Amino acid sequence: MTGESTMVSIYIMGKQYEVPDGVTIMKAMEFAGYRFIRGCGCRGGFCGACGTVYRTPGNFRLKVGLACATMVEAGMHLAQIPFYPANRAAYDLQALAPTLGTLRQHYPEMTRCLGCNQCTRICPQGLPVMDYIAAAQCGDLEKTAHQSFDCIMCGLCASRCPAEIVQYNVGILARRLFGRHIAPPARHLAQRVQDIEAGKFDDELERLMRMGREELQKRYYARDIE
Amino acid sequence: MSIPYFPGCTLHVKAKALDDSTRAALAVLGLELSGLPEWTCCGTVFPLARNNYIGMVASARILANAAKQGDGRLVTVCSFCYHVLKRVNHAVRNSDEARTKLNDYLEEDYDGQLRVLHPLELLRDEVGFGALRNRVGAGLKGTRVACYYGCMLSRPAAEMDFGDPEDPAVMEKFVAALGGEPADFSWKTKCCGSYQVLNEQGLVAGRVKDIFQAAAAGGAQVIITSCPLCQYNLEAHSEADNHSRIPVLYFAQLLGIALEIPINKLGLAGRYADPEALLQGARR
Amino acid sequence: MTGTGIEVTLKVREISGQNPFLCMQCGLCSAGCTGKGTMDMLPRQVMRLLQFGSGKLLDERSMWICTTCLTCTARCPRGIDVARVMEALRALNQRRGVSVLAPADLGAEILADVPQMALTSAFRKLSA
Repeated sequence: MTGESTMVSIYIMGKQYEVPDGVTIMKAMEFAGYRFIRGCGCRGGFCGACGTVYRTPGNFRLKVGLACATMVEAGMHLAQIPFYPANRAAYDLQALAPTLGTLRQHYPEMTRCLGCNQCTRICPQGLPVMDYIAAAQCGDLEKTAHQSFDCIMCGLCASRCPAEIVQYNVGILARRLFGRHIAPPARHLAQRVQDIEAGKFDDELERLMRMGREELQKRYYARDIE
Repeated sequence: MSIPYFPGCTLHVKAKALDDSTRAALAVLGLELSGLPEWTCCGTVFPLARNNYIGMVASARILANAAKQGDGRLVTVCSFCYHVLKRVNHAVRNSDEARTKLNDYLEEDYDGQLRVLHPLELLRDEVGFGALRNRVGAGLKGTRVACYYGCMLSRPAAEMDFGDPEDPAVMEKFVAALGGEPADFSWKTKCCGSYQVLNEQGLVAGRVKDIFQAAAAGGAQVIITSCPLCQYNLEAHSEADNHSRIPVLYFAQLLGIALEIPINKLGLAGRYADPEALLQGARR
Repeated sequence: MTGTGIEVTLKVREISGQNPFLCMQCGLCSAGCTGKGTMDMLPRQVMRLLQFGSGKLLDERSMWICTTCLTCTARCPRGIDVARVMEALRALNQRRGVSVLAPADLGAEILADVPQMALTSAFRKLSA
């Protein structure tokens, strides 16, 4: 962050700040003096801790983004919603049946959906939230699991729901039920676990443990990246 | 001929038999149903409070998307879906305010010109009951059938356009076309208690008892419905109170039986009352 | 919405779009009512209290027993959509957060068992 940056005015929770143009909302907030204890996690757009809502001048639409991955815009009004109180059921996944009944028993309120689509509209991941709740209402666990797969649990959908549904918790229950009880087990994973338990990688690990920092660094930078 | 079709939530698991039997039976008659690509719950009830447009949004979106299929028709079989989709469609077509507000919200441009059709209407108007009669041969061999419309199909008459609000006749004509005999059934458009199964179970139990008694008084060997909730309420309370062993089938299952579609394609594993005797009679 | 006197009647009239003063108390609505064996106050009596302007109506149970089967609506010789009147009474309660059915009230067995429309319609009609 250099002194030569162009500055823009933004409003954080209603108060005006001059911040450098071209930085993320998160960096702008830190520039303005905020210090994050919550509402900040991976800083890479994956963890869902920094959900932020904002409006830009001349547009009635509520916009949304992750503070760590959304650039500031001149005149924007923003507030972070890092956490939204949620109805979260406790369950023992092993003991549950992968059925519509299980979804309903844990989150009966999901059947209150009005189809307003505000959840889909606000999702920073661009997921079809309303559609996966519709699939959950049908009892289509597979579709719910697939459509909600990229959910980062930021909670913004729940903040907008007039039926007070916590969509992301319905989604993760469906994904867990699907993963545990419906999806075919991954054979390569079972094989790998078996190999590990049989000690196939023990020697290699042992060598790594004994390696010096320099050699480790060299290997790290030379590694294969997918 | 393939017609856009809205199955609705309940038909995915709970009333899969209604979905299976409707698709199978109509396919035999040359009517292919093609499910809409993406859809949500229809909302199940038509909002009766003025200006409750949020209660119509889900149905309006389904209708707008169905209209894009270009067929001009939308078939739906569950009584609740049919009721609410048809009424919301009516509102969009006939009320400037409803049309404007719903389209503004959905960012659509739907005019309400879709025809929302029940499979019984398709059978009457596209297949023809005369042709159906010829198709099934001996059919149900005089099986006495109580036609249970319930409360959702025929009221309000001006919007549902399903015949007399308390004495519709399409299901009886359908039964006659299958070679069955419509039983006298004075309770045919009475309500089973509906969603009160969650709040006033006693009310539902009382209604179900009267419905079975009326069907039995008419000599009915089977009750048919197009409503998964009627079917559920009747069967659940039939077992609990042991009123009757009259099987409660979906009309499409009866159609499937008359068309001699294999039983396993009709979802006929009756939970409480075994339809086997009925099958024996119809297929003798 | 305090629910006193004629205010309730006027609100019901506005929300339902129906004029309760057209009612001539014939009782056809009550005779055909699905919930008549369970209601504390039959539809005809509800109409009468609306005419009187009784705020007590909002505390009666009848609106929550109604199944919106529309038999009353089909039969009213004065053309009143009685089901809309019941809905207006529910709406007045729901809008101030009063409801009779909460998701937490439902047992695990019935939640697993009932067809979808039972839950969705019950929540729309009976919960706030």
